[in-house]
Amino acid sequence: MRGPPRPEPPLDARWLDALSQNCGELRGGGARFEDLYLEQRLEVKAAVTAGELEIETCRLEGAAARWRSPSRVILHARTGISTTAIGELLSRHADKVPMPSTRLIPAPEMDPPRGWMEWARSLTQRLAPFQGLVRYISRRAAVVRAEGWTPIATPALIRVERRGDPSSALLAVWGHPMLATWLEQLFEDMPAKTWAAPPGTRLPVLFAAGTAGVYLHEAVGHMAESDLARTGASPLTALLGATVSTTSLEVIDDPTRTDLAGAFDYDDEGVKAAPVTLIRNGIFEGFLCDREGGRHLHCDAGRGRRAAWSQPPVARLSNLTITPGTAHPQDLESDLEHGLVVTRIGGATVDPVSHRIVLRIERGWEVRHGRRRRPLAPCELTGNVLETLANIDPRIGADATPDWRLGWCVKDGVPLPTGSEAPSLLVDRLEVL
Amino acid sequence: MTADNDHLDRLHAATAAARTRLEAAGADRWEIFAKASMSREVEVAPGRPLRVLHVEETGVAVRTFDTNRAGFAAASGLEEDASRRAINGALNTATPVAADPLPPERLLGLTESRPPRQLPATGWATHAGQELEKAVASLGSGHLRLRRAVLQEGDFAWVLVTGDGWVARHQDTSTSLMAEVEVVGERTGVWRDWLHIDNPDDFDLEAAASQITDRALLIQRRVATDSGLRDLLLHPEVAAQLVAAIAPLFLPVREEEDQLSNLLDSHGRLATPALTLVDDRCDPEAPITGPCDGEGFPSRRTVLLDEGVPRYRLASFRDGVRCSEPTRGGALRVSYRDYPATGTANLAVDCRAGVPAAELLGSADHALYLLRPLAAIEVDFATDTYRMIASGVWLDGPRVRGWHPVVELQGSLGRLLRRIEAVGNDRRWFQTHRGFIGAPTMLVRRQPVIG
Repeated sequence: MRGPPRPEPPLDARWLDALSQNCGELRGGGARFEDLYLEQRLEVKAAVTAGELEIETCRLEGAAARWRSPSRVILHARTGISTTAIGELLSRHADKVPMPSTRLIPAPEMDPPRGWMEWARSLTQRLAPFQGLVRYISRRAAVVRAEGWTPIATPALIRVERRGDPSSALLAVWGHPMLATWLEQLFEDMPAKTWAAPPGTRLPVLFAAGTAGVYLHEAVGHMAESDLARTGASPLTALLGATVSTTSLEVIDDPTRTDLAGAFDYDDEGVKAAPVTLIRNGIFEGFLCDREGGRHLHCDAGRGRRAAWSQPPVARLSNLTITPGTAHPQDLESDLEHGLVVTRIGGATVDPVSHRIVLRIERGWEVRHGRRRRPLAPCELTGNVLETLANIDPRIGADATPDWRLGWCVKDGVPLPTGSEAPSLLVDRLEVL
Repeated sequence: MTADNDHLDRLHAATAAARTRLEAAGADRWEIFAKASMSREVEVAPGRPLRVLHVEETGVAVRTFDTNRAGFAAASGLEEDASRRAINGALNTATPVAADPLPPERLLGLTESRPPRQLPATGWATHAGQELEKAVASLGSGHLRLRRAVLQEGDFAWVLVTGDGWVARHQDTSTSLMAEVEVVGERTGVWRDWLHIDNPDDFDLEAAASQITDRALLIQRRVATDSGLRDLLLHPEVAAQLVAAIAPLFLPVREEEDQLSNLLDSHGRLATPALTLVDDRCDPEAPITGPCDGEGFPSRRTVLLDEGVPRYRLASFRDGVRCSEPTRGGALRVSYRDYPATGTANLAVDCRAGVPAAELLGSADHALYLLRPLAAIEVDFATDTYRMIASGVWLDGPRVRGWHPVVELQGSLGRLLRRIEAVGNDRRWFQTHRGFIGAPTMLVRRQPVIG
């Protein structure tokens, strides 16, 4: 595994120092200047179609300035991060824009890492029968505030999509040591004979192979986000300090895990990243806040994330990790009289109003008398957020495993990379949809 | 805010700079696409500060073909640097191809399109959002509240230039509303609606509020479940999802991968005669209009399904060549960043023979009225099956008997499509994963409801 990503600001540091000092003087229209976000992004896509390799590259850069008054929040965004572009952007709201007098030295061009193109070429050949594609995504970003500026480091990501039946996708940090193993799993075919769990059945479900991370991403991660908590849309809002699950459960949102796709060293509002414990000893302990949410909920900020320069930051989780316990995963499975073992989840949703989770199961097993009997046909499992949390078995597996299927998390139509790592976890009852 | 001549001038300047650079590079054939867009988004959410978002985005994309190698790259901005990055990207990552993916000039052309729509006056979005909040509360008699409304207005301009000297340009505006309502004090879900506003001057706020609240009002009844072979009424949103699910049947595939024949009956019919699907890029009231498709083929109305019988497929020039499919102007550029790929622009159910939705609702006895999909409708063309998970209400004639929060339906896709008895005349536009889809209420006879 490569080391943590190195912060590379999209513009030179001296110029940003000077700009930040000048930002303290910005005033306009009764609103105060909040921050200026600068971003460069490189996306490369490789695919084989009709036997031909296609490569598409896209280089993007843009900036966004936020202004705030008691009655409104205003975001102006535009393409470009040149001196002229930034000056024009700030002057849309500011009465006077004092730009730095020093010459701006542009950052070097972003390129895929050495070896990526060859790696992608060979992978696309393998993906050709599945009409698959490979993407490389990296960004440089910085947040400028009146009190200083912060470069943001996020790991470069790769996404591999396998289409057809079944379609599947992988999102991982480029260079992750498990990448080759995960790719093999991505290429595994569906078992020929599967068992379809009857709709309406309620069964115990053992989340294996890291899949518990996806379930808790929905049940705890999203429900702890400050925008949902503030509007009362989360069932956890009123339960701060209350026991919501087994005392052996600990759930942490950790952006400092640079091996997982949701990592960053500073969030997109310039707040230093730090792990936030959401559940400790079964007790719900904290919310995931952007600056605005933090002000309202009196919690630390640090989860203001942007999907692109043109989008405002919103409170979003990063990498959800579940602290491993001591139980042997095989023991959890062998104790199942009749249940399901889930080994791959293709997607999941949570409705912020009904608080119902739906998990789309891609792979798994029917277990009878503690033994895997038949491969599970793809199905959906559902349950209420609080009920399923209350039904988590106290025995937590010792096998912490990162999940490569979680990938892009979409909330209100805005996608962001997220990661998770979880041990085996047994939920006493979920309903087959 | 307007994509006025200043922007067209900037676009022309950007393409001229790119042309000079491409000619200097000696590229054999090439195409430049430059776009500028501005959007203003206002979010009104009761109890929260107003959020206003102004975004201006510009960019250049280049396609090249030289000595049997083709390339594509895009870069943001309209300055010299953007052209340089896009051109270098396209030339440096060009890969060998069997055929030139750029269409010949003789196939390119323009269809006359309507003049740009007017953008609403300054302050309209904030006012409309606040009025909508009151209208929702009033229509719901205090049972419903607006969770948030996002009003988006924007304009854009683009220029397409080929190495043969062919030029197309277009500018237009768009206005839309996304609204979420919820039932006060109940956990029955958020009801989200998206409305394409063709002309903000004619926008009827009361009618919009009624449309946004109608489904949420229907579910204020007791829960009722049922199963078996039942008549279905599909709300336009559910019907749009169904059309989105079958849209790939109207895109090109290689002969050995073509599964359309699995779904046809002995008369070569995919669906009932009540169903005609078109991709109409000339419809002045549709969300996407313009003089040509993403590659320069003249805009046209393409009949994809003619009274239940598959007629034509859409294809970009590259896909058309690969799949031996005539190109009918089927390329779409969602953004300057994207390769002009095959796609539907305004895929719509032809409703000229549609009946009033109220008539459809009254004509089914003991029917399930599916109000919203809870997940994308799954279809498997190889096995002729579909699976739908939705939320709906059971009707006894025109009366609502109860709410079925999560209902599953599955069966033969072909049978589902051939049992569509009638379509409504209440077509609405929806944003789906397949782009814009215009769909009305549909009546489907005897489908297996699992429960």
